[in-house]
Amino acid sequence: MLSRIAEALFWMGRYMERAEDTARILDVSYHVLLEGGREAGRLRWEPLIVITGERDRFFALHEDATPAAVFDFLAFRPDNPSSIAECVARARENARTIRDRLSRELWEDVNGLYLAVSRFPREEPLTAGPHRFCDLVKFGSHRFQGVASATLPRDDGWFFLKAGRVLERIEMTARIVDVQYHMLLEGQGEPDPHQWMAVLRSVAAYEFYRRRYHSRIEPECVAELLLLDAHHPRAIRFNVAALQRALSALSGTGPDTYANEAERLTGRLNDRLKYDRIGDIFARGLHPFLEEVQTACRSIGAEITRSYFHYAMGQ
Amino acid sequence: MLRLVPPGRPAAADPLTARYDLGGFYDEMFSAPGVPRQHCERLAAYLADATPEQLEGQQQIVERAFLVQGITFAVYNEGAGSERLFPFDLIPRILPAAEWARLELGLTQRVIALNCFLQDVYGPQRILRERKIPRSLVFSCRHFRREVVGVQVPRGIHVHIAGIDLVRDSKSGEFVVLEDNVRTPSGVSYVLENRLVMLRAFPGLAQSHAVRPVHHYPTELLQILHGLGGRDGRAAVVVLTPGIHNSAYFEHSFLAQQMGVELVEGRDLVVDSDVVYMKTIRGLRRVDVIYRRVDDDFLDPLLFRADSVLGVPGLIGAYRAGNVPLVNAVGNGVADDKAVYAWVPTFIRYYLGEDPILQNVETFLCEDPMQRRHVLAHLDELVVKPVGESGGYGMLVGPSADGATIDRFREVIQADPRNYIAQPVIGLSRTPCYDAGSRQLVGRHVDLRPYCLYDGERVTIVPGGLTRVALRSGSLVVNSSQGGGSKDTWVVY
Repeated sequence: MLSRIAEALFWMGRYMERAEDTARILDVSYHVLLEGGREAGRLRWEPLIVITGERDRFFALHEDATPAAVFDFLAFRPDNPSSIAECVARARENARTIRDRLSRELWEDVNGLYLAVSRFPREEPLTAGPHRFCDLVKFGSHRFQGVASATLPRDDGWFFLKAGRVLERIEMTARIVDVQYHMLLEGQGEPDPHQWMAVLRSVAAYEFYRRRYHSRIEPECVAELLLLDAHHPRAIRFNVAALQRALSALSGTGPDTYANEAERLTGRLNDRLKYDRIGDIFARGLHPFLEEVQTACRSIGAEITRSYFHYAMGQ
Repeated sequence: MLRLVPPGRPAAADPLTARYDLGGFYDEMFSAPGVPRQHCERLAAYLADATPEQLEGQQQIVERAFLVQGITFAVYNEGAGSERLFPFDLIPRILPAAEWARLELGLTQRVIALNCFLQDVYGPQRILRERKIPRSLVFSCRHFRREVVGVQVPRGIHVHIAGIDLVRDSKSGEFVVLEDNVRTPSGVSYVLENRLVMLRAFPGLAQSHAVRPVHHYPTELLQILHGLGGRDGRAAVVVLTPGIHNSAYFEHSFLAQQMGVELVEGRDLVVDSDVVYMKTIRGLRRVDVIYRRVDDDFLDPLLFRADSVLGVPGLIGAYRAGNVPLVNAVGNGVADDKAVYAWVPTFIRYYLGEDPILQNVETFLCEDPMQRRHVLAHLDELVVKPVGESGGYGMLVGPSADGATIDRFREVIQADPRNYIAQPVIGLSRTPCYDAGSRQLVGRHVDLRPYCLYDGERVTIVPGGLTRVALRSGSLVVNSSQGGGSKDTWVVY
């Protein structure tokens, strides 16, 4: 497989996941806002920009994190490279450069989502609520995964697509938890269970939490689920294990060994998530741990690029 | 006449076909108002029973299909990233079997003669030494490449793929050749996609006509490419594209997919010791044959344009060393230069000893002082074209141009006469199109570009080709970059 094609698949996976995660966060935050007061609302919108890593860019454009400004920034702004519309456009652009390698179904699906998003009436989310838009993106991403799974051969391309998706999901989940926890510490002492419920809902884990813990919403339990659960498809540990499998399928190495830096870093992260307890993590500090996860994600991304996409010539 | 409407449905009271105006041109469907040509009787009957609502419904289905599939082309000069649908008219253009058989013979003859000419000018240059054509004609051509004189191309093929543009002259009712395209002719993907969409939108109609199929094109092309690479047909073949911003990117991607070969960009390739490799996730892999859709100028920054980022440094070295055939061959532009075009009938007589089956359009070479004088005196009646362009860029259509444009062309012709030719305005034949604005059938001018594949022995032509249609009322320019659209073209058995 051409390096350029592998890279396009990897980024297609990443962008589609980023679009979905952003849509999830927006959707849930809006519903929390409906329940909360005005002051609470303001507190909840700013972290959304922090999660996507575009705080500076946002405040260069806007003075205040009003719901309308945040929503437009995260959903549509073409000058925000992390906005949903931009992510979908880039996923589609990547797909277009390799459309000869995709199934016809998958290309038409990505292209269809792009057309739907780019033609979506921009004022509707502000007047009628963002739910319809967020659902379009969320289910667009799910359908993308379904069509990919139903029509793509399980060759190298499949594993690059998958690696991109899970790597992005790990990083986004880490950021969501990190930012929420930070707000909590800064907060007025009284932890707001609604905020943690919103976090759980944003990663589709609320029902799972209820069944699993039979308790009220405890920050430590929420963190345990989102970080260390081996079964929930949006938990970090689940996705690190999936990343490890994808990378070893690409290099052909067996279990407990590695062929490149990307695999070594992923394996090390996987071991920590497997054997650390949530109490230990809290004792050493949740924030440093989540920082470590995000740093690892960036290094793994860079190492995948170095091993497969832009390696030195003369090999 | 055989009727294809479901039984029990009354014929339309005021059929679309009854109001159709032939406008004094040769019409591809009707020989006289309301009288369809024999091979179009069924289609005319179908249209007579069709309502505007019905046709608009079908049109929507078709446009949606193109949009969802992303069958678009990029338009230059309109800012980056402008993608457009290639406008498509529903009503097919039909060619009868006997006429097609004659076109096939004429095209085959022409493609072989063009290939002989290229073998000759990049080889012994017999035609020049025997003074059958002026030397200056070849050596002054911007697309003549001295760098590849003497290169032995596999099986002697320079023109693997040709798109010959034909038009039917309303005066004679005969097809004539308007121009040859033997560099990187595009459009064949629309032939295949138009057919697929038509079969979906009008299943019964196509079936009842016994339309000759076109979908073997990618297989035929792949066979030719494999045949050039040795390795018992296991050669690594790639399609080289300038990338997604090229106007024909959809087609590059489509052909690579249909042939099951890799679509590469210049940055995917490296040349080491005159061997071409592609960069894969597991290191470098050798490339044996390149179907390139990158123009000569941009192929190799070491030899041609140094600012090209689309090409591959060293590619021409590998080509000269015989390690990688390029399809089409380098330097073919000398054969489809519009001034050289005027000499193609001479090539046919000289190389094949035959009389041309298909005629040229009368062509004035501005380089010749006598002919130039005539051209300058009649600019308002002529079509003037730059010799090396394609895509309808830089043309003057005298009768519809204003005084300022004509004056500008007078200057540019005098400044660089070798670069221009002129031809009389051809009254291109017309064919009915559905116009959603007036909800009528309207006559629009069309041309025909058949795609010819040459394997060194045999010329294979998919029946029909691309019918391009000038969708603007009265316009004679059919290029997609100039507001043209396309139609499905049926050759019936």
